[in-house]
Amino acid sequence: MRRILAILISLFSICTVWAQGAQTVLKGKVVDASDGYPLIGVSVIVSGTNHGVITDVDGLYELKVNGEQSEIVFSYIGYEDVVKLYTQKNAGSFSRIVMSANAEQLDDVVVTGVYERKKESFTGASATFKTDQLKAVGTSNVLQSLKTLDPSFKMMESSQFGSNPNVMPDIEIRGKTSVAGMKEEYGTDPNQPLFILDGFETTLETIMNLNMNRVASVTILKDAASTAIYGSKASNGVVVIETKAPARGRLQLSYKGDFGLSLADLSDYNLMNAREKLEFETLAGVYKDNTGDPFAQMRLDDLRNERLKEIERGVDTYWLSEPIRPGFTHKHNIYAEGGEDKIRYGIGLSIGNVGGVMKDSDRRTLEGNVDLIYRTGKFQFSNKLSLNWLDVTNPTVSFAEYAYANPYYRKYNADGKVDRYLYYPEDGVDDYPVANPLWNAHLNNWDKATGFGFTNNFIFEWFVTKELRLRAKFGLTKQDDDEQTRLSPLHTQFDDMGETEKGLYTNTQINELVYEGDVAVTFGKLIAKKHMVNAVGGFNFSNNHRQIYGYSATGFTDDQFDAPSFANGYPVGDSPDYSESLKRAASFYINGGYAYAERYLIDFNYRLDGASMFGTGNRFRNTWSVGTGWNIHKEPFMQNSDFFSLLKLRGSVGNPGNQNFSAYQAFSTYKFNGWMTNVFGTGVILNALGNADLAWQETTNYDVGADLTFWGERINMTLDYYWKYTDPLLAVISTPGSMGVTTVAMNAGAQKTRGWEAALRVSPVYRPSEGIIWNVTVNATSSKSAYANIGNSFAALNESGKSSLVGTTRYYDGGSPTAIWAVRSAGIDPATGKELFIKKDGTYSFTYDVNDEVVVGDTQPKVEGLIGTSLYFKGLSVGCFLRYRWGGQVFNSSLFQKVENIGTQEVYNNQDKRALYDRWSETNRDAYFKGISLVQRTEKSSRFVMDDNSLVGESFNIGYEFPDRIARRMRLGAMNVQLTMTDVFRATSVRVERGIDYPFARSVTMSLGITF
Amino acid sequence: MRKVFTYIAFVALMMLCSCDAWLDVKPYDKISEDELLSSESGYMKLLNGIYIELNSDMLYGAALSVEMVEIMGGAYVIGTDNSVWGNYADLAAYKYGTDYWRARINETWNKAYALILNCNLLLENIDKTTVRFSGDNLKVIKGEALALRAMLHFDLLRLFGPVYAHNPEAPAIPYYKRYSVTPNEILTASQVAAEITRDLNEARILLANDPVRTSGTMASAPADGSSTFMYYRNLRMNYFAVTALLARSGLYFGDKESAFKYAREVIQAGDEGIFPFVDRNLVTGSPDDPDRIFSSEVIFALSHSQRNKLFKNYYDPSRIPNYVFRMDNDLMSNLVFGGGAMTGGNQDDYRYRVNWVATGANRYFYKYSDMVDSGNIKNTMIPMIRLGEMYLIAAESCSENIGAGVAYVNRLRANRGVGNLQSLTEDILRYEYIREMYGEGQMFYMYKRMFAPVLFSSLSSKNPVPSDAVFVLPLPSSETDN
Repeated sequence: MRRILAILISLFSICTVWAQGAQTVLKGKVVDASDGYPLIGVSVIVSGTNHGVITDVDGLYELKVNGEQSEIVFSYIGYEDVVKLYTQKNAGSFSRIVMSANAEQLDDVVVTGVYERKKESFTGASATFKTDQLKAVGTSNVLQSLKTLDPSFKMMESSQFGSNPNVMPDIEIRGKTSVAGMKEEYGTDPNQPLFILDGFETTLETIMNLNMNRVASVTILKDAASTAIYGSKASNGVVVIETKAPARGRLQLSYKGDFGLSLADLSDYNLMNAREKLEFETLAGVYKDNTGDPFAQMRLDDLRNERLKEIERGVDTYWLSEPIRPGFTHKHNIYAEGGEDKIRYGIGLSIGNVGGVMKDSDRRTLEGNVDLIYRTGKFQFSNKLSLNWLDVTNPTVSFAEYAYANPYYRKYNADGKVDRYLYYPEDGVDDYPVANPLWNAHLNNWDKATGFGFTNNFIFEWFVTKELRLRAKFGLTKQDDDEQTRLSPLHTQFDDMGETEKGLYTNTQINELVYEGDVAVTFGKLIAKKHMVNAVGGFNFSNNHRQIYGYSATGFTDDQFDAPSFANGYPVGDSPDYSESLKRAASFYINGGYAYAERYLIDFNYRLDGASMFGTGNRFRNTWSVGTGWNIHKEPFMQNSDFFSLLKLRGSVGNPGNQNFSAYQAFSTYKFNGWMTNVFGTGVILNALGNADLAWQETTNYDVGADLTFWGERINMTLDYYWKYTDPLLAVISTPGSMGVTTVAMNAGAQKTRGWEAALRVSPVYRPSEGIIWNVTVNATSSKSAYANIGNSFAALNESGKSSLVGTTRYYDGGSPTAIWAVRSAGIDPATGKELFIKKDGTYSFTYDVNDEVVVGDTQPKVEGLIGTSLYFKGLSVGCFLRYRWGGQVFNSSLFQKVENIGTQEVYNNQDKRALYDRWSETNRDAYFKGISLVQRTEKSSRFVMDDNSLVGESFNIGYEFPDRIARRMRLGAMNVQLTMTDVFRATSVRVERGIDYPFARSVTMSLGITF
Repeated sequence: MRKVFTYIAFVALMMLCSCDAWLDVKPYDKISEDELLSSESGYMKLLNGIYIELNSDMLYGAALSVEMVEIMGGAYVIGTDNSVWGNYADLAAYKYGTDYWRARINETWNKAYALILNCNLLLENIDKTTVRFSGDNLKVIKGEALALRAMLHFDLLRLFGPVYAHNPEAPAIPYYKRYSVTPNEILTASQVAAEITRDLNEARILLANDPVRTSGTMASAPADGSSTFMYYRNLRMNYFAVTALLARSGLYFGDKESAFKYAREVIQAGDEGIFPFVDRNLVTGSPDDPDRIFSSEVIFALSHSQRNKLFKNYYDPSRIPNYVFRMDNDLMSNLVFGGGAMTGGNQDDYRYRVNWVATGANRYFYKYSDMVDSGNIKNTMIPMIRLGEMYLIAAESCSENIGAGVAYVNRLRANRGVGNLQSLTEDILRYEYIREMYGEGQMFYMYKRMFAPVLFSSLSSKNPVPSDAVFVLPLPSSETDN
């Protein structure tokens, strides 16, 4: 094939020589900018004629040129044209022609997953990060790093689950657009952004598992102009991730490894020591008998003395250290790649072993991938196949149980063994036994999951002409997960059960099959050198089928032998679980962009979405967006000044929607009333009431922004102001029982959000040619939301919030979704020790009335963001990123529940030190907290609302890229090392217990990258 | 080039057309409405599902037949020992506001309206369906669903509405006539009454060709094993059940004229042998196996596959030391089944002889105890409306003067093995109600209708003075808050 081509080429060359008659012969080689690899078949034409040649298999060409001056055009499909003026004198400069692929330089290109656009001519608000940037700030996963790089991308810190590597975080871009109640009801997070991996929609978990070393770039699409191409799934923003494509060249092997250590951060725990706890219990009256029975009092005295004796013997157990361990993490990625212009291949293997900071908390991943790209003439086929395997274990005793254990108990008995109970009341004593968390932890309990997944993404591209491209994609993902838990029959949970009912085994299987196809036509042409026209149109369909099977078994008689087959039977009255959901979507989309002389830009998107989740009345939905931009730096009046290399104003408006809802909520479904049949046979009744008129939740999204780069690229700024109006909201609302259902999914009210984002990068030292750059970055984000037109729809939620112990969220028109509602407090009255409340009208009262609630704070900070600096000096790089939060408040639930509101049950758990100090008493009248009492209920008041300002050392890193000569001496292509520390310190204005079920972690990671 | 575009456009068009069908996803683990109601049998299953669900403990499986509403109707002696009687003492003292009873009342309310919603979904779909029904089935299904909807609303009105005779314009309950995702407003009692009457009348017209009118109740399976759908008419809301409900509701709404008219029509049907009086041999002939619910007289009953739970859970003397529901001894021996001409009570009464069995010093209620003949359809029946009530309604409504109705009561008594009354008073009529309908959840409504003291005891001091606090249940908070 190649030989024939060469002959043809030479024949062709000879012909042209004959035809023209030689004057000068231009000789040279055309290579690819990215890797210097020769490009075959590039057409080299003298402009304005049809005289030309094409390059041979080595990228070489010979072109004979007449005359003194002529313009030579090098063109190649998929690459930017190179136009060079030949002037007789510069023939030498034609020896090496470098061509860049259209979308090669990620810096300057916005990858939306559907189309690519030069950043300069894109009107949307987006941010793109390359693998180096991501890896510099963190090594755990892509999203963790994105959080540090872009303030609008938020990973919600989970006070409950801490740094549990097996719990998926809640993620938001530019805040929430949905009302509470949806996640609880349907298990899908309605605020989660859309994730696109290599052009295909994917799940949060896939992204979390993805080895960062495979990632080439990540783009966050924020506003309507950039997200509208994803239509009704896009209102929460889009995260587009591209994995690396194999590079051309001889076979190249690279290795990347991360070795990490994480340690639990228990500094937020402020628990009492043994002596303090006993004193607290004494003050709270635990050892005082109220029945007046002298024997009972004697027993309590004995009990107290026994504990006191233990304390005197030095017992002061620190339980929190028991379940934790240093978590070791190691991840490896090996990638072999190579090939030539026609065929390129890459084979990778990634292994990850993340050890959490709690014992038995592991996440092991194994991922293999094969990338193939075949290009012939006008066609390109690329295929990415990946197989992944996941193995997860979780601790079976939550961290909270250790935090509850009292410090005056010993961990081990005299024989050094673990007792079942820390305290077991004598016969006839009306008291509860206290289980030993170590007992349950040492049993043969487990909580584990395995998963196996297969993804194959195939893309076919046809470069019909230089301007026109047809692309067809098909992606298939199969994921099977198997979750199993087992509780030993010796677990204290089963103490009151019959011998044959103890122990519990549960099994859940989740099978998922997803396929997605897409056909698109892309057109891009510069007309008359001034009018740049881009257009994309396509059709997309997807099918997501998910099945969940589950069952449980009980009646294990032995701790050690744990096979499910040893179970005695199924729990009485338990039926197998089965649920299934099938979601389908089909869409047409079109995107067009026009730029006049690179100065005036206009973009539009339109998408027609159909989704099976929505009722027949509302099956299809339109999404549109319009964006405009003005490249001021391209204006003639700016051409004289080099000061601005980028000065762009842009604005966009559009209405992306949200589709993160359950599969069948628009339809009424029925079920068999299986508990009885009659002479007429079986019967069915309503299972769930659908709302066929449910309108898609949509968010009208306005964004104005500016991008500035000036002073020789030393200062780089991006500013955005946005305004989002979500109308209607889609919410699960509790209804009057007379409607026949107690909740219904419906459209109710609206939410308005305004916010701004700013990112500034200053380079006081900027000498890229020498490899010396010092950057200082500051970014900030702020937003404010309010409900509108919700009226009384959420009355029931408000009522239940009012009557609940800790609920401080309310739904009122004009109210912020993040506002904290509580009655204002004037503090503790020194004279009486009672809390003094401030009523709505400003008067003072000792009586608490829930109707005096007002907004006493907002958990949304006024401004938050990151301050960072990074220094590159030759191969050395040092970076430091601090997260700041300012102007928000928090309802301090630690104070509320672990200082006050300690009831007769909670007093037996270990508590916050502050529960003992600063309490009101006859001798300490100026205390902040009420007197110690087990029966007094403390109501939510502003006394527990505190300013939540914080500064967190989110990421520190130092790295070194070995110079070529050293690497070569070591017979390596390249080598770099890096040390990254995350969540190093945390300074906050408020002390709240975090990491209830799982502690937070600080970690340090050493990364190594070697190319052979 | 142009060809390519034409081709693409053509494919796109094809896809758009097929999209809608492709997007029409049917769940596999649930039954979708479209699929269910795409056939006649789907409608039949849905209708049957409603009948089955009426047997729920929150409705006529307990709360609205033998338990909650019957306690409120003073049927049982409720002890004071909480460890035995739990929350029942609160209910007997009409403390509807306790957490427990609020939750229970809420449950009943929600369940009743949930079934009303099922009726409405059925009705709304059947009105626009293109399914071809065989014979008269469409009319029958629609008629029964309409009548069930009316019946449920009627019972809710009798629980939560005002004392109708005193205050017909007071706000009562919402009346749901169609499925809606927005709440309906609360109507006044008279508005609800009008809706109930309208639904029942429409149902009656739809059921005009009900085979019960020509072939009787057909309370056995067809010999050829074909569909039972049009059999066992006494287990369905048949033409006469609707008529009887019209009589019952007419009387409740103070429309004695219609009450009498409809009651007479059912009595007529009884005379024609559709609902014959119970064969006295079945009652007295075989004492071990009596037909205690007088099944042939039942115009409409639910069929509960474990009906003996009603007996086991509430009336069975072997439940002791747990609570057992029974009538106050003095009330029984001095008034209900004693007391001579003053009350019409007599121990020869079949209703006494077969239903009240002595164990120790007390007599216990055996109406829901199974007949020996297990698997008998009669053993599954929970009577919802019976012929005896028609006689009592006729007696009360035949004239403004209650005394004029004595003949109807005597006709009934003759079939209960007791002699004629000389005269009829409201008091005697109430005793007759107790004798006839005990354990069927109707007594509370009777006292409420007549605004009479609920008879817990023979001592009038122990019986609550009639008041709204006794007779009007508070609406669930979900109703008033939202």
